[in-house]
Amino acid sequence: MDLRFTEAQEILRKMARDFLATECPKTLVRELEKSEKGYSPELWKKMAELGWMGLVIPEKYEGMGYTFQDLTVLLEETGRNILPGPLMATVISTFLILEAGTEEQKEEFLPKIARGELIISTALLEAEGTFNASGIAAKATPKGNDFIINGTKLFAEMAHVANYIICVTRTKDTTPPEGGITIFLVDSKTPGIHCEVIPSIAADKLCEVHFENVTVPKKNMLGKMDKGWPIVEMMLRKGAIAKCAESIGATQTCVEMTVAYSKERVQYDRPIGAFQALQHIMADMWTSMQTSRYLVYKAAWMESEGQPCAKEASLAKAYVNEVYKNVGKWAIRLHGAIATSYDHDIPLYYRRSKAADTAFGGTDFHRERVAQEIGLI
Amino acid sequence: MDFELTEEEKAHRKEFFEVCKELEGKKPASYVGFEATYGIDECWEYHLYCAKEFAKRGWLALGWPPEYGGTGTMMDQVLFAEARGYHRIPGFDIFGVQMLAPTLLQAAGDSIKKEFLPPIARGEVMWCELWSEPNSGSDLATLTTTAIKKGDEYIINGQKTWNTGAHRAEWGFGVFKTDPAARKHHNLTFILLDMKTPGITVRPIPYMDGGTPFCEVYFDDVHVPAKNIVGQENEGWAVVNLLAGFERSGMVEIMSMFHELEELVKYCNETKRNGQLLSRNPIIRNRVAQLACELEAARAIAYRIADLQNRNEMALMDASAAKIFYSELGERFAFFATDIAGPYGQVKTSRWAPVHGAWEKSFQECFVTTISMGTNEIQRNIIAWYGLGLPRMK
Repeated sequence: MDLRFTEAQEILRKMARDFLATECPKTLVRELEKSEKGYSPELWKKMAELGWMGLVIPEKYEGMGYTFQDLTVLLEETGRNILPGPLMATVISTFLILEAGTEEQKEEFLPKIARGELIISTALLEAEGTFNASGIAAKATPKGNDFIINGTKLFAEMAHVANYIICVTRTKDTTPPEGGITIFLVDSKTPGIHCEVIPSIAADKLCEVHFENVTVPKKNMLGKMDKGWPIVEMMLRKGAIAKCAESIGATQTCVEMTVAYSKERVQYDRPIGAFQALQHIMADMWTSMQTSRYLVYKAAWMESEGQPCAKEASLAKAYVNEVYKNVGKWAIRLHGAIATSYDHDIPLYYRRSKAADTAFGGTDFHRERVAQEIGLI
Repeated sequence: MDFELTEEEKAHRKEFFEVCKELEGKKPASYVGFEATYGIDECWEYHLYCAKEFAKRGWLALGWPPEYGGTGTMMDQVLFAEARGYHRIPGFDIFGVQMLAPTLLQAAGDSIKKEFLPPIARGEVMWCELWSEPNSGSDLATLTTTAIKKGDEYIINGQKTWNTGAHRAEWGFGVFKTDPAARKHHNLTFILLDMKTPGITVRPIPYMDGGTPFCEVYFDDVHVPAKNIVGQENEGWAVVNLLAGFERSGMVEIMSMFHELEELVKYCNETKRNGQLLSRNPIIRNRVAQLACELEAARAIAYRIADLQNRNEMALMDASAAKIFYSELGERFAFFATDIAGPYGQVKTSRWAPVHGAWEKSFQECFVTTISMGTNEIQRNIIAWYGLGLPRMK
């Protein structure tokens, strides 16, 4: 057991931290929130040069060949700074291709992703808003060498700028509902696709995507017919851990900013950080951050090692969801009214705590999974 | 970053769990909650028995240097704590083995180490601590019990209180005021004393549940050899701080709660209310799962502390955070378990009690972890002042 980051991870972490501090100031974050695209193509290009989109892609597909755990080190930093754009959407979608793609699909897509030439968004959720297979109603119907997709997907992150949309469809009505799920890689330019950005708390460009008689060649099927759900589960598990890594980075910023401000802000002739009423809250903020941290690191390590960790991923996500939201809330409370203003940095984090919470399954969704894992019948 | 244990560590862990499981089979029925160790005669006998079983395997000296009988590694200490916690086995003297031994190893002179460490490793001598006084709880710097040097002895007068197991222990360690004129933090000395020394009176204090884990200890002209000190005279404060830093990850309590969680799940899976198993109630499922998440978070930070301590690095902030977190989780656990048991949640160990009355016991015993070893409020101060660098109010 050695819970220190490796030297390579420390280098990655420092490089990411320095890069984001220079290239992604909060002025840019606010600008992108208001922009139509929601990301900066220039910044995206620079990230590609650093190899971020190809971090977990094997070297033979022009990637960096890093581990999942290495990825979470990077994501902790993107969360710490805030990085708007399609990195998370693309990287998580990449895992679907890595795990379920044919050799041909891998050769076609992975090098382009690694070079930063492809943005990919996975369209999973539908109207009901559930992360369970029962919520998948969008139909894919075979027709010759193609499939025809009809249905409406919701909350597909950055789908409006994506080159490809990975669409989770129903190809068979089954009981239980996990049985008839098939996944397709859909070119976003295909006629019949209409994308609309849903106004959301983090302005992170979650989209409603309509599929109206969208023709997809059969060769773009990811994985096997009707056998797509285990791949979705893999994505949810990896996504949950990845989102947790981002969240603990963001939580750390909330703690650090609050502690720093409380040492400067003077009321009643002393820094407000000298008052125990505030000190104990900050101690609790730090405690909840630190208890999250090693829970997430452990899940990330297990995932990286290929160990079964559905339980650990859900334990972490259910816990971290609440920690990030609450630390964000206390960061605003302790700053006082100043931190309620649009131009303050803390609300950028606070608003994202809600977005992070819902991504890849909210607290109750993951608690139910934990309940099953610990043996409640 | 690597959470994997080595093959050797895995083998040791397996052995710790096997022995503790076997000892669990010999546990008296009255042994419910860790504090029973001190309060009930047959539980104290069981504690001594377990200590001997551990001692003969060298497990009371894990991670010590070989010249004092040491075996194993610091990591073995952690794995052993997991096993004792999970099976809720005493036999590991918190005061002698956990607190005093590492303090002696770092701060005591050679003759003190040679005299006191081997009997601890053999499980022969049980210790108690002598910190708090009626008017000095968290603020130890205001202690008034004096130890005045006279020739080659200290003569102790005053009163200590909240001394766990002082009525059972053969020896005690504590801090006493050796220079009443000196300024605070420079007037205390860390002294080891035989609890049978004339002039010592020990009175058990009844706990709220009727048990007697704690005592008050009176000193009336108690003569102690002057050689029985750790560190220098008047520098006991540093020794106290050193001692307070050892093994605060709470692994024993955390693993004990893991066992309790398993019992809780079993109870929910077997108990019907309103025609439905408790386990089918979505609110109960949600709350049990929440406890499971928090428990895993507590275990994760305990491993973090173990990792730091294995490399002899300071874990001050993490240890305070862990202590706050696992002890308050203990409160939440006790409240929740006694809640879902409905009217049975109030029943003491008897045929009506779920899980032998362990939950009712926890409802009363949870204060032992939140208040002792530096209250959680003091732990929050430690994080704020020494960890986050926040200013101390003048």
